[in-house]
Amino acid sequence: MNRRTFLKIAGMGSISLAAGCSPAEKNLFSLVHAPDDMVTGKATWYASTCRECPAGCGVLAKNREGRIIKVEGNPLHPINKGKLCMRGQAALQAVYNPDRLKTPLLRDKNGWQPISFAKAQSMLKYKTHDAAQKGSDRVRMLTEVVGNSQLSLFTDALKQWNAPAPLIFEPFAYETLKTANETVFGRKELMSYNMQDADVLVSFGADFLETWLSPVEYAHKFKTMHALKNGQKVPFYHIGPVQSLTGANADSWVQCNPGSECIVALGLVRQALDIRKGKQLPWSFRKPLFQATAPYTQDRVLEASGLSLAFYEKLVIELMGARKPLLLGTDTGAGDKKGLQTNVAVNLLNLLLDPNLTLLDFNNRHRVEIAAARSEVLQFFKSLQSDAVDLLILNNTNPAFSLPPKSGVKEALEQDDLFVVSFNNFMDETSQLADLIFPVAMPLETWDEYSGWQAVNSTLQPAMGRLTPTPHIGDVILDTAFENQKPAENYKTYLFSRLVADRKIIDEKDWVRLLQVGGAADSTATRNSAELDLKPQKIAALISQLVKADATDLAFSAIPSIRFFDGRGANKPWLCEIADPLTRVAWQSPVSMHPDTAKAQNIVQGDIIQIESQWGNLEAPVYVNEFVRPSLLVMNIGQGHQAYGRYALGKGVNPLAILPPEANTESGGPLFSTDQIKIRSTGRTQKLAYMYGSRTQHERPFALTVGLTELNQGKMPQKTGLTMEDFPLTLPLPEGYDPKRDFYPPHDHEKYRWAMVVDLDRCIGCGACTAACYAENNIGIVGEKRVLEGREMTWLSIERFQDPHQKSKVTFLPMLCQHCDNAPCESVCPVYAPHHSKEGINNQIYNRCIGTRYCVQNCPYKVRRFNWFDWRWPDPMNVQLNPDVTVRSKGVMEKCSFCIQRIKVAHSNANNEKRPIRDGEVIPACVQTCPTDALVFGSLMDKQSRVRKLVADPRAYQAMGYLNTKPAVIYLKKVLREA
Amino acid sequence: MSKNAIVILTTLITGLAIAVFILLFYKLPYSAIGPEQPIPFSHNVHSGVKQIQCQYCHPYVAYSNHPGIPAVEKCLHCHNYIIANHPWIKKEHEYFNTNTSTPWVKLNYVAEHVLFNHQRHINSKIACTECHGQVQNLQRLPHKTWYMNECITCHFKKGANVDCWLACHS
Repeated sequence: MNRRTFLKIAGMGSISLAAGCSPAEKNLFSLVHAPDDMVTGKATWYASTCRECPAGCGVLAKNREGRIIKVEGNPLHPINKGKLCMRGQAALQAVYNPDRLKTPLLRDKNGWQPISFAKAQSMLKYKTHDAAQKGSDRVRMLTEVVGNSQLSLFTDALKQWNAPAPLIFEPFAYETLKTANETVFGRKELMSYNMQDADVLVSFGADFLETWLSPVEYAHKFKTMHALKNGQKVPFYHIGPVQSLTGANADSWVQCNPGSECIVALGLVRQALDIRKGKQLPWSFRKPLFQATAPYTQDRVLEASGLSLAFYEKLVIELMGARKPLLLGTDTGAGDKKGLQTNVAVNLLNLLLDPNLTLLDFNNRHRVEIAAARSEVLQFFKSLQSDAVDLLILNNTNPAFSLPPKSGVKEALEQDDLFVVSFNNFMDETSQLADLIFPVAMPLETWDEYSGWQAVNSTLQPAMGRLTPTPHIGDVILDTAFENQKPAENYKTYLFSRLVADRKIIDEKDWVRLLQVGGAADSTATRNSAELDLKPQKIAALISQLVKADATDLAFSAIPSIRFFDGRGANKPWLCEIADPLTRVAWQSPVSMHPDTAKAQNIVQGDIIQIESQWGNLEAPVYVNEFVRPSLLVMNIGQGHQAYGRYALGKGVNPLAILPPEANTESGGPLFSTDQIKIRSTGRTQKLAYMYGSRTQHERPFALTVGLTELNQGKMPQKTGLTMEDFPLTLPLPEGYDPKRDFYPPHDHEKYRWAMVVDLDRCIGCGACTAACYAENNIGIVGEKRVLEGREMTWLSIERFQDPHQKSKVTFLPMLCQHCDNAPCESVCPVYAPHHSKEGINNQIYNRCIGTRYCVQNCPYKVRRFNWFDWRWPDPMNVQLNPDVTVRSKGVMEKCSFCIQRIKVAHSNANNEKRPIRDGEVIPACVQTCPTDALVFGSLMDKQSRVRKLVADPRAYQAMGYLNTKPAVIYLKKVLREA
Repeated sequence: MSKNAIVILTTLITGLAIAVFILLFYKLPYSAIGPEQPIPFSHNVHSGVKQIQCQYCHPYVAYSNHPGIPAVEKCLHCHNYIIANHPWIKKEHEYFNTNTSTPWVKLNYVAEHVLFNHQRHINSKIACTECHGQVQNLQRLPHKTWYMNECITCHFKKGANVDCWLACHS
C-alpha cells in the first residue's frame, strides 16, 4: 500500500467512524426501596454533632441522593449557634478521604495483610479473652474524648476483661487551666466563659479564636462583645510573646518577655488587693495572697516583663474600674513553664474583681475536661513496658505523632509481647506501629451522642449511605466483650437505654425529637452549687515561688494550628490548601522569626535552618514576621507527618520533634516550648507557598480603618474625592448612574440586586468562609507546587495586611468577586462569557469561555481564577462534589458566583409560594458559616433589607470605588480602639 | 488507468455505503427506536393503554429538579398481581430480591453545565408532552438530543426567564 492509498482509506475510515458514533451510554440506576426522606434532586438535612475537636459543635449534614455534600452549623445548637470553623467544614474530607482504610489490616512478616471484619473481630475476641484469663490488668485502652455512652461501654467492657478503665488522651488537655481551677476554685473542671457580657477582656495567650476549648463558641461570643455597639467597643488586650490570630484581633497585642505573663498577672492581683477589690471575700482568704504577692510591685513587673509604664497603668485602670472584667489564661498548649501560675493568677483576678464570678459558667463545662493529664499519659506508656500487658486498644488517637519522640510511645508499642489494636480509619504514625488496624464507622455515619457542654444533650445520627462495611466501634466492643449478658443487642439500643437511664430522654418519641434538633440544653443536668472551696494557703504556696522571667536567649515554641488542630486535620486537602491566616502560607509549616532575630542571625526569609535541642533537631524554612517577639521561634503544630495519607505525608515539619518529652511537675501538662536551642543555617533555601502579593498596602490602603473617637466625632471624610477614603459610595443600582462618569448605560434590575456587606470590624480572619466556599462550589485543590506557581483556585481569600508603621497590627479583608455594576471583566471578553445578570450578579458562563484570560487581566481585584489543569478528586472524594455546581474543566475561567445555586433555590421556593424572596432567605455558604456574622447578604433593591440599611453606615466604602466599578461588595471600615 | 479506476471505484462504493448507512440509521422511522433497556419497559402499555399518570412513576416531577424514576419496589406494587410470572417480571423480582438497582439506559440528559428544573416547568403548567413528545405511543423510547435553541425559543415565547444562570446554567 502506498502513502496515497493509506491516506484515502484512513480518511474514509474516519468519516465512517464519525458518522457511526453515538455518545457513550449513560445509566440511570433506580433505587430498590425508595426511602421516605429522599427526593432525588433535593437535599435532606440531618442534625448531628461535629467530632473534629472536643468542642462538640452541632452540625447539619446536607444529604443529596444518599451522600453528604456539605456540613453546616446547626442554628438550634446551644454551643455554636449555626456557625462552624474551617475544620468542621472539612469533616467531609475525612469521610471521603481516598486514604481511608476499607478493611482491617493485620501485620505479619510480609507486611500488612487485609483481613475480613469477621476475622478481625474474632481475633480481638480471642486476644481479649486470652488476656483476661491470664490475670487482671492485662488489657489497656487509650481513647480520644468520647461521649458518655461510649465511655461507659468501654469501661464495662474493660471490666469484663479484668482491666482498668480507659485512659482518655487528648494532645491538648488544658492541664494547667484545670489545675489552676482546682487550686483557686476547688474544682478540677473546665468551665465556660460568658465572654459576651464582659466589659474588659484581657487574655494572657488564650487563643480562643483558633483552638482554645471551643473556638466557634468563643469567636461568636467574642464578637458579640467586641463589635461596635452604640459607638463603644469593649477593650481587649492580648499579652504574650506570640501574636496568634486571637492576638491579631486584640485592640493591642502587648509583647512581654517570655515567661513574664505570670508576673504581669500577679502584679495585677497585687494591685487589686491593694485597692481592696474582692472585699466580700474573707480576710482569711485575702491575707495570705496579700503576703504572697508582696514582691510583685509595679517596678518589678515592669522590669521583668518589659511592658511600658503607660500601658500597665492603663491596664490597671481599665481592669479595676470595670464592672464585669474577664481575664483568660494561657493558650491551648500552655507551653509556657509558668502556665500554671499564670492561670492561677488569672483565676484570682477573676475572683477578686468579680467575687460572684458572673462570667464563669460552672454548669456548661467543656467536655475535654475528662481528658487525662499528660503526666498520666506518659505514665500509661511507661506502664505498658513495665507491667505485664498483653493487649493495648487504641481508639482514634495518634500518640506516636502527638507526643515528642522521646516519650517512649514507639518503644512501648513496638514490644513483641504486646498486641496493639488500633481502631482507626487511617494509616497514621500510631497505626503503623500497631498489629491490627480496625477501621470503624466515622461520626457522620453513626448513631451516638456527644455533648460538648455538660449541660447539653447532643446527638449524632447516620447522615449518609455507607462507603465501607465498617462497623461501629460500640458494636465491635459489645460483640467482643460480652459473652452471654450482652447489655444490649447493638450499640444503638445500648445508646438509647443509656440515655433513658440517665433521664436525658423519656421515650422513643423524645429520642426522635432530640435527633431532629441535634442538640438542646439539658434541663436535667445537675447544677453546680455556687459554693466555692477556697484554699488560700495552697494558692499562696504556688504563687509565692519567686517567679523570674526567662533568659532572653533564643527560645522555641510550638503552638496549635487553626487549620490542623493537633495534627488530625493534616490529611484534609482543604485545610492544607487554605493558607494560615497570619503567615498566609499553605501546605508548609515554616518557623516564624522576628526580623531583628533574623538579622542578628544573618538569616533571610526562605532560608532553611536547623533547630537543635537536646531532644532532637528539625529543619524548616524561616518566615520572617513581626507576630512573634524577638528571640522567639514559633511553629504551628500539625504537619510533618511520616504517615497519614497522601495529603499529610512529607508536608511541613513537626515541631514536637525537638520538645522535651516530660510533663510539667506541678500541673502534669505537656511542655510546648523550650529555651535550650541552637540554630544554624543549612545553606539551603525553600520557596514558601504564600498567597499574597504584598504584606503592606504601600500607602494606598485597601482595607480601611477608622479610629473610634474619629468615628464618634463624625470626622469622616467628605465623600467627594478620588481616593478610596473619600470617593462617593456609588451603589450598583440605576440611581448610581451618572452620565458624566459612565460610558455604558445603567443596568436595569428586576426586583433584586444582590449585594454583600462585609464588616471588617467583625472579620477575625479565621477562614471558615473560605473552607465553606471550597465545599460548596467544587473548587479544585491545586497542591503545593501549583500554589508556588500562583495557581490557587480559591474564590474567597482572606487578605491580611500589616500596618506599615506598626507591623504587628493586622487588618483582614475577605476578597471575593465584587460583582461590579461596571464590571471591567465584562467589557473585555471577546465572547461575552462574563455575563451581567438581571439581578446584578456577574456570572461566568463556563461553556462560552474560551480562556483568553483578558478578564483576569482587567479585573482590578484579581479574584478570577483560571483552570490551568483539570483538577482531580481522587475516588471517593468526587462523591462530595455539589451536584448543583458545574465542575469546571481546563481552559475555563471561574470565580465567586454569590452561590447562584442557592439564589435559584430561593427563587424556586418563593415562586412556589407566589411571594418575593424574603430578606435573609438567600444565604451563601460563606455567610452561613461566618462565626462572627461579619458577612451579610441581601438585595439592594429592597429598601428595608439589612444590606441596604448597612450601606448607610458612615463606615461603608467600596474597594477601589474610584475606578467607577461600582462594586456590590461593600466593606465597612474596621474600627480601631485607640489602645 | 486500471489501477486508478479500482481506487476511485472503492471510494465511490464506500461513500455510497456510508450515505445509505446514515440514511438508514437516522432517517427511517423505525430506526428511531431507543436503546435496549435491561427490562423492555413499554411506555405505550403503561402510559397509553393503561393510562397511568406520568407522576405515578415519576413522583418528584412537581417537587424537584429531577422527576425521579420508580424504585424497583414500585414496579412490583402492581406486578406482584399483574403478569407476575412473566419472564421479565421475574427478572424484576430478581433485582428486588438481590437488592440490585435496575441499570436503565439514560435517554434524556442535558450537558453538565445545565440544570433543568422540572418543578418550575410543571408548576408553570407545561405539559410533559410539550418537551417529551407523545411517549404514550412509543414502546422503546429513543434518545433525544436537547438543543438550547428549543429552550430559548419557548422561553421567549412564554416570556419566561432567559437569564443565563438564573434560568438554566449552573
